[in-house]
Formats: sequence, structure tokens, C-alpha cells
Amino acid sequence: MNESEGDKEFEPKILAFTCNWSSYSSADQAGVSRIGYPPNVQIIRVMCSGRVDPLFVVDAFLNGADGVLIAACHPNYCRYDSGNRYAKTRTKFLKMLMEEVGIEPARLRIEWISALEGRKFVEVIQEMVKELKELGPLLAENDGRKSV
Amino acid sequence: MREDNPNQVPRIGVFVCECGANIGNVVNIPEVVENAKKLPGVSFVERDVSLCSSAGVKHVKDAISKNGVDRVVFAACSIKNYGSLLEAACEAAGVNKYLISFANIREQCAWAHYGSPKGATRKAINLVGMAVARVQKSEPLKDLELEVEPSTLIIGGGISGMTAALCLANQGFRVFLVEKEPELGGMLNKLYKLYLTNQSVSEVLSPIIEGVTSHRNIKLFTSASLKEVEGHFGDFEITVSANGGIEKFRVGTIILATGAKVFEPSGMYGYGDKEGIVTQLELEQILKQEKLKRPGKVAMIQCVGARGEEGVPYCSRICCMVAVKNATLIKRLYPDCEVYIIYRDLQTYGKENEEYHAKARELGIRFIEYTPENRPEIIPNGNGKLRVRVYHALLGETLNVDSDLVVLSTPLIQHKGGEEISKMLKVPLGSDGFFREAYMEMQSVALGVNGIYVCGAAQGPKSIDESITQAYAAAAQAASPMLLKRVKIPAITAEVDEERCIGCQLCMDVCPFHAVIFEEGKSMIIEAVCRGCGNCAAGCPSRAISMKGFKDEQILAEVQAAFKGE
Amino acid sequence: MENVGSVTVIGGGVAGIQAALELAKLGMLVYLVEEKPSIGGRIIELNCSSCQLEVPMDCSICPVIPKMVECHNHSNIRLLTKTHVTGFSGAVGNFVLSVLKQPRFVHEDRCTGCGACAEKCPVEVFDAFNMVQGKKKAIYFPVPQAFPQIPVIDKENCVHFRNGNCKKCSEVCPTHAIDFSDEDMKIGIESDAVVLATGLSLYDPAAIREYGYKRYKNVITILDLEQMTSIHGLTGGRVVRISDQKKPRRIAFIQCVGSRSRRTGNNFCSGVCCLYTAKDAALVKMLLPETEVYVFYIDLRVFGKGYQELLNKVRNDLGVKYIRGRPGGIWEDPKTKDLIISYENTLIRRAEKLRVDMVVLSPALLPHPSNQKLAEILGLEVDEDGFFKSPNPVASPCDTTLEGVFTCGYCRGPRGIAESATQASAAAARVAETIALTKSRRVKR
Repeated sequence: MNESEGDKEFEPKILAFTCNWSSYSSADQAGVSRIGYPPNVQIIRVMCSGRVDPLFVVDAFLNGADGVLIAACHPNYCRYDSGNRYAKTRTKFLKMLMEEVGIEPARLRIEWISALEGRKFVEVIQEMVKELKELGPLLAENDGRKSV
Repeated sequence: MREDNPNQVPRIGVFVCECGANIGNVVNIPEVVENAKKLPGVSFVERDVSLCSSAGVKHVKDAISKNGVDRVVFAACSIKNYGSLLEAACEAAGVNKYLISFANIREQCAWAHYGSPKGATRKAINLVGMAVARVQKSEPLKDLELEVEPSTLIIGGGISGMTAALCLANQGFRVFLVEKEPELGGMLNKLYKLYLTNQSVSEVLSPIIEGVTSHRNIKLFTSASLKEVEGHFGDFEITVSANGGIEKFRVGTIILATGAKVFEPSGMYGYGDKEGIVTQLELEQILKQEKLKRPGKVAMIQCVGARGEEGVPYCSRICCMVAVKNATLIKRLYPDCEVYIIYRDLQTYGKENEEYHAKARELGIRFIEYTPENRPEIIPNGNGKLRVRVYHALLGETLNVDSDLVVLSTPLIQHKGGEEISKMLKVPLGSDGFFREAYMEMQSVALGVNGIYVCGAAQGPKSIDESITQAYAAAAQAASPMLLKRVKIPAITAEVDEERCIGCQLCMDVCPFHAVIFEEGKSMIIEAVCRGCGNCAAGCPSRAISMKGFKDEQILAEVQAAFKGE
Repeated sequence: MENVGSVTVIGGGVAGIQAALELAKLGMLVYLVEEKPSIGGRIIELNCSSCQLEVPMDCSICPVIPKMVECHNHSNIRLLTKTHVTGFSGAVGNFVLSVLKQPRFVHEDRCTGCGACAEKCPVEVFDAFNMVQGKKKAIYFPVPQAFPQIPVIDKENCVHFRNGNCKKCSEVCPTHAIDFSDEDMKIGIESDAVVLATGLSLYDPAAIREYGYKRYKNVITILDLEQMTSIHGLTGGRVVRISDQKKPRRIAFIQCVGSRSRRTGNNFCSGVCCLYTAKDAALVKMLLPETEVYVFYIDLRVFGKGYQELLNKVRNDLGVKYIRGRPGGIWEDPKTKDLIISYENTLIRRAEKLRVDMVVLSPALLPHPSNQKLAEILGLEVDEDGFFKSPNPVASPCDTTLEGVFTCGYCRGPRGIAESATQASAAAARVAETIALTKSRRVKR
């Protein structure tokens, strides 16, 4: 990654909600394997992707995130039975809402990533960084809104 | 436990682990420390070479005591590695473990972004900021300590139920065994001999029935039915109807051993219409009662009503071995008789089964493979025999086996009793109809509802030895909370603010564990049943549900601190 | 709470870990003896992610990792790695085991797993076990997915032990965890009961010369494939031909290699290969959708929960082609290093040839070779294949021919991960029951 001082290229900021039983461990695995990926992503751990309240996603966009990732267990493999299913439905409605208010729905992504899919985690982050670079920053600088 | 400063400004202690040089050679630790010191609520920040070592743990305890810290942040490796170790260290020093937060600056920072030290440092600074912001909103919580009655209810008196019953009774636990039939034994009562050893059922069954009926720790109810189950893990209130009356008692755990029934292939291969076509179970009865007349030819057809569109989609695991066993018994009885097993894929898995299968071939039992595209048929042949026409897939020839007896191997399926129990205990069945195990438990006896375990055919088709094994496993899982007479339920459970609750019951619909009850127009969450997923909180339209340990305020604090200063 | 009893568990794989945890929860003091440098067994060498196929099944690899952590941290469990049993005496309630703990030359309670030692070590050794990972240092981490991550020194290849000249690892270790003076340690353990969980080993398919394993570069085993698809592997998770690092356009999996075979003497079925071959074939197809994937089988073992559904998905939805027939031989095209498989498709009774880029062999899974020796030391019976015998395989599946000694997992007979874990819990229950009964017998006397 190019780290020269005074680099003006836009580096998108991604907030990732990872679930304790799968995707949080996949991010760990990506680190253990040292495959390396850009530091654009901040990770918040929840017990289940179903915990992700749409409010969190909205607040993320209002607080500097250019993109939000919800990384959940694969279908049929949610430790709490159906949390990932609810997360998917909520994501669907959030995207509709985002479109209404003029935020590109592509900024929000839900992915199924199991504990041993560190590579997939990295690939998803790399893809999102690329897409978000094209979409540009969400909020213009000096935007006053900072919380819900 | 230090709970004396609930309203005062929190004193947060931050420990930054260097993990040898592991973190420090990418992340600028002094910068992280300096920034951490400036965060509101932080009263001290310390570096440590290795928090997970015994020296490190001791240092943590000393530093907490010395600095009068009441909340802690660990900036170190993944919480998955030493989270519980560090939580225990903090509790020992008087800090409630729910007033701790972790910033993953190793696996998810230094190790991930080794090519970008500036970016990694910036990220680490924000990670610490997130953890500090989160812990400021945290509350001290107490894990729920449930008292567990050292007694168990076992539903079903077959081989699985009895095995679990005896095992627990021998360890000193009180066992209530409820069986719907007048006698114990379940499916085994209908069988003749058991494969691998070819021993008679009574050799296996009699000693265990004897043990169960004579054990002073076992209270047996036969011709009984379960009427109601209330309460939760540790304290279930059971109502049973037996002996013409009603009995009530309390237990700490429940083991389901309700077994399965054999699928009846009505209309398949002429079953029910023609004479001489029976299921393997019916054949067992015929053999047991010594009613088998010398047959010329016997044809057994496998996978009837299984592995396909008709019947059930799954393989029932034991039918191939049952067929091989019954074929062996017939061949031993009448060595001149020809026995054919018409199979799709022979499920003689493992070692002992393969050996048994090899012996069957040595006896002269013939095996014919068919494919699902070319199923065998029973066609009229005029001389009173049942003509089984089958395309032998390996020979490439159509064969006619003019049989005196056709035996259909059908799968085990869930029965009505099991379905009723599923509803009564609110324990889900899988798509195959059998009780669905909890995921991520690394084995098949734990169910999604705390304190309820399953074993035997109720969980899925299996052999006798597999049922016995699973019964022991269920006994082991039930025994540990009963041994301690208590169990800790993590405090990460949901809580309803009654004032905000509008009674929409969305939380009830969403909860897969039936942890939500509705009383007087408001939802209420049963802590002992709640598993802490947070789905209810995420979906509540009036923000009435708080997820302890993962409250909105805590998560939003992390969200808002994630990209601060960027 | 005072310990109810003391138990030794021999073997630290899936079964051993589950047995140890179950016993610890039942109030026993558990000594978990493992001959390798880490617990976790074979399962942590695998890659899995079968949940990608979304078929509801009992997957068991992901849960093992937190269980390893739990084992390490549990107050009732004492881990003894690089340790094996040398002697045994006594009877149920009063066993005495002699074990030998071999030196790893690293203080387990000081090491943080930072890896600085391995980085600085000047010696590179070919990792014969893991042909896909290739190399390791003289001080190395045995398995990337093990917990805790503590390295071990390979004394034979370490320069320090050859001529005393090198101390690079020790110098760079931030917690002074390296200890060249570490020695063999003889330990005596008193136990009320013993649980055997020695697990499995893989049949070496090089013995089946006509399949070309170790002669032809593009013939690998399914374990090699698991490690290749793992993020820790040499290719970081990409499936490539070893000969030229190119993507394979056609892959063939061959099941029952060395299994169900009078020639090799392994007459039995390993029970799980149909399942994991299907899973790996599916994962390869998902990673490389354009690649043709073939599986050669004899009988499809679909007896477990979700197996049939998985197989349907693999064959019907993903288009993996199944051919019933055990290939007679494999030839290598010397120019392209492609492989030509000669086989009979037994369902159409035609002899055919198939040219593929890569062959993956599913070898027989055998009981651990040390079982015979262990049986002699303990005075109990193994069968001719090396599986521990039960006095009655129907009525007493967890027992051995010696009272107070129980088995779980593969050492008792072929079984999968979920069944091994269930058996481990069962063995724990048998131990608890036996100890309770033994005690009450004593009291009565």
C-alpha cells in the first residue's frame, strides 16, 4: 500500500460488523496467515449478525464510514438459528431506504463468511475498497452531522 | 466485586500488549499509548511485553489494584485467545468482567497490515478509542446463577432412554423415566436378533431392564404420558399422567429418547395389496415367532421410500445392515434358500459392518446393484411367486427373481409422539423430521434449548451401539450441571423496558428459543432461556429491548469512535 | 470443588479434547496426554468451510478451535504435549501411568507465539509431511491453526544442537522462552480411569505404485488439497497444479485408495471419505467454476445426517461427475505432466481413459500405528487392524477389554468428527459411572 506522506488519494473507510462465531475469527485467520490487506476496515464484534440494528448502519454512515459490511454465518449455520436470515432481510430494507435518501445501496454489503474463510474476508474488503474508491467518499468534508 | 462507583466518573485502565515485538514492529506503540492517555475517562495506560504470561497476568492484577481502576481495556491479541484468562484476572482484582473491552491490535491490525505501519498505527489508535468509548457505556453485570435440581426426566424407555437412566442413576442422580407403552424396551421389543454379534435382543435388553426396574434412584412411569412441561433449565416442572392419576415433580434436566418408527411403504412395490411382501420389521416378527416357512427365494429391496422423491430424501443409515443381518439369519436357518439383496449403495460403513457384510457374502447371499433410474419392479408371473424384475447395473442384465418372500427395507421416520414432544418443549425438528441439534456444539446431543438433550433414534436413524453411545453422551452433558447443582448463564441476555414496550410481539416472532413471553400486554424475556443473540433488540420498533453487554449505547459508541480524527 | 476423581486421556485430537472437557466439567482432574507438540489432532490440519455448501449438517471443525482454548485454560485440565505412555499398572480406581514428556526447548508459560524465533532461524528444512507447505525452520510452529501457538525445536536439524554455534532464536525472544537445556521428563500419573483417543493416521498411497503418488507431481492426497486450499498453505488458498502452478481445468478425485482392499489388507471402509471427498470436490468446483470435477467411487456412503442432501447438491447443482469404478492405473504425460486415468465405468461396463490435470487421492484412514504398542503396555486387546476391541461392540461400545479403560473416536473404529465427539462424551459418562460404582463398591466392603 502506498504510504507516502501527502498522498491525496481517497482511502475509503469501511465499518464491518462481524459475528463472534464466524466472521470475527475469519478476520483473525486473515491476520495469522499474514496475507495482508489495507487498513481501511474497522471491525465491531457482535454475538450474532442479527444483532445489527439498522440504526447502527445509519449511524456508521453518519460517522465517517463510506461503506458498511455485515459479515455473517452461512445460511443454515447460524448459531442462533436464524439471525443471519434476519440480517439479510434488514439489509434488503436498508438498501431500499438508502436508495430513497440518495445513498448508493452498494455501500452496504452483507456477506457469508465462516471462521475459516480468512481469504474470503480479505477478498471482500479488497473488493469493497475498490468499489468505494469509484463511488467516492460518502460525506463531504466539514459535514456537521455526527450522531443520531 | 467493585460496584461502589456507579455514578462516578469511570476510571479506565488501558493495557497495551506488545506481544514481544510482534505488534510493536508494525504499530507505533508509544503513539498508541500517548493517544490513549488523552481519551476521556482513562486514568492510566501501561505497556506490557506479554499479557498472557503468568507474569503479565499478575501485573494486570497489581496495576488494577494500585491504580483504583474500575474499567479495563486490553489492546492486545484476539479476545478469542486469552479473553477468559484476562477476564478472570480482572475479576480477581475486583473489576466486573463486563466492564472490560478488547481492542484487537494484533491479528486484526499489526498482523493484517504489516505493509502499512502508518495505517496500522492509525487503526490501532482508533481501535483503542473504540474500546474505551464502549467500556464507558458498559454496566457491571452478574451472570445468572441457576440452581439445578440434581434430577432428570427421561422421555422414552427404549434402549437409549434406559442407558441414560442407568448411567445417571448410578452416579447418584434421581431419574424419572416416562414410557408410553406398558413395557420398557421400545423398538428393541420388536426385533429378533442384533447385527454384529447376532445375539438375541433379550441378551442386551434383559440386564438393562432389570437394572432400570430395580434401581432405587429411578422412578419409572409406564403406560404414561407427558402432560405438561413448564419452567426452565435447572427447574422444570413436569406433569405426567400415569397409573390412572396425575403426578407432578421437578427436574433440572430433560433427556429426549423418544425413538422413531418404521416407514410403512403403502402402495410401494405392492405392499399391502399382495401377500408375501413385508417390511424388515415385520420380517423380524416372523423370525422371532419362528413362522418363516422354508422359502425358495427371498428378495430384499433397499431404499424403499428413502433417498428419493417418494418417502424421505435421506438415507436411513441402518437398513442395509438390517437387511444383511436378516439375510444372514434366513440363510443360517435355511442354507439352501437363495437370498438376494437388491441395493443402491450398500451402507456397510466402517470396519465391523464391512466384516459382517463380507461374512454374508461368504454364506452365499447375493447382492444386486440397481440405480434409481431403473428401480426394481414386482410383476405378475403366473406361478404364484413374486417376480422381482431388476436391471443389474453392474452386469448390465435384467434379472427376474421369482421370490416367495419380498422384504422391503424402509427408513426410520419421526413419529407423532416425537412431534408432540417437540411442540410441548418448544424444541425444533429438522427438515428430516428428527430433533435438530444445536449448531456449534461439536456433537449431536445438545439441543437449542438449555437443559434439554436428545439421544437415540429421536435424533436420527442409528444402530443400537450408536444409540447407546449417544445416550451416554446425553447423560454426560446432563450430569455436569446437576453435579454442581448450579449452572451459570452468561449475563448477555435481553431485557425489556416495559414502559417502552408497545406489545407488538415482534420479539416473540423473532426469537428462535421461545425466550419471550407475553404478560399483561407486555413482552418479558426469560433470562434462563435467552441465548443472547440480540435479534429481538435489533428488530424492536420502539427500542424497548436492551441487549445486556451489547447495548445500543455500547455499539453506537464504538461506531462513533471508529473513524474519529480521520 | 474437590475433584471427584482423576482421569488420563491419551490423545489430544477432537475426541481427546471433548473427553477432557466433558470430564473436567464432571469434576475430574484430567491429564491430557498428546504425543505431538500441540493438541488438536488431525482436524486442525484441515481447512473445511463446508458450511459454504449451506446443507445443514453437524460441521465440527470451527468449534474445535475454541475448545482447544478452553482445554488450555481449564483449571481441571493438565496438558502434557510431546508426551507418550511408557508404562502402566494397577486396576480401575488405582491405575498408575508412566509417561515420558520430551523436550520442546520452549517454556510454554512464557511464549507468546510472536514468531520472532522462527523468523530469525537460519535453518530451512523440507516439511516432508506437508508437501504443499514445503518448508519449515528448525524452530517451527507445528500447525497454524493450533492453540496455543508455541513453537518447538527440531533437535535433529537445529544448528545449536549440532555444534553449539547458534542461539539466534533465544537472542531474539522477548520473553526468554527458549531453553536449550530442556530435557526428557519422566512423570507418574495416578488415575481412576483412562480414556483412549489416539485417533487416526493416513495410509500412504505411495504404496499403490500405479497411482503415482510421490512420483507424479500432480497426484496429491486429499489432505494435501485441504492444506492447499487453506489460507496458511503455500498458495494462500488457490488450487493449482504443483508442476506448473497453473489452474487445473479437470480434476479427478479417487476414493477408497488403499481401502476396502484385500491387497493392502485394509478391508474396512473408513466411513467418512465419501462425505469429505464430496465436500472438497464441491469446494474446488466453487473456487474454480470452469473446472471439470470427477469423483471415482465404489459405494456411496451417505448414511449420516445431511450426507445425501450434500451429495445431491454436489452432483445435481454443482455438476460434479461421479463415476463408479476403481481406476486401474494412472500414467503421466511426461511433457505436460497431465495424468491419464485408466478405469472401468462399472455402471456401463466400459473400459475408458480420462485425461486430467490433477488427481486427488482419498486414502484409507487407519488407526494410529502406536495402538499396538499402547495395547501391550496397557494389557488390552487390539484387532488385526489396530483398532481397540470392545468386549461387546453392540452393548458396550465405549468399553475395552480392560475395566476402567474406555475408548472414543477413530481408535475404536472408523467414524467421523461428530460421532467421535459424541463418543468422547459417552466415554466421560462411562468414567463417571464407573468411578461412582467403584466407590460405592468400596464403601460396601
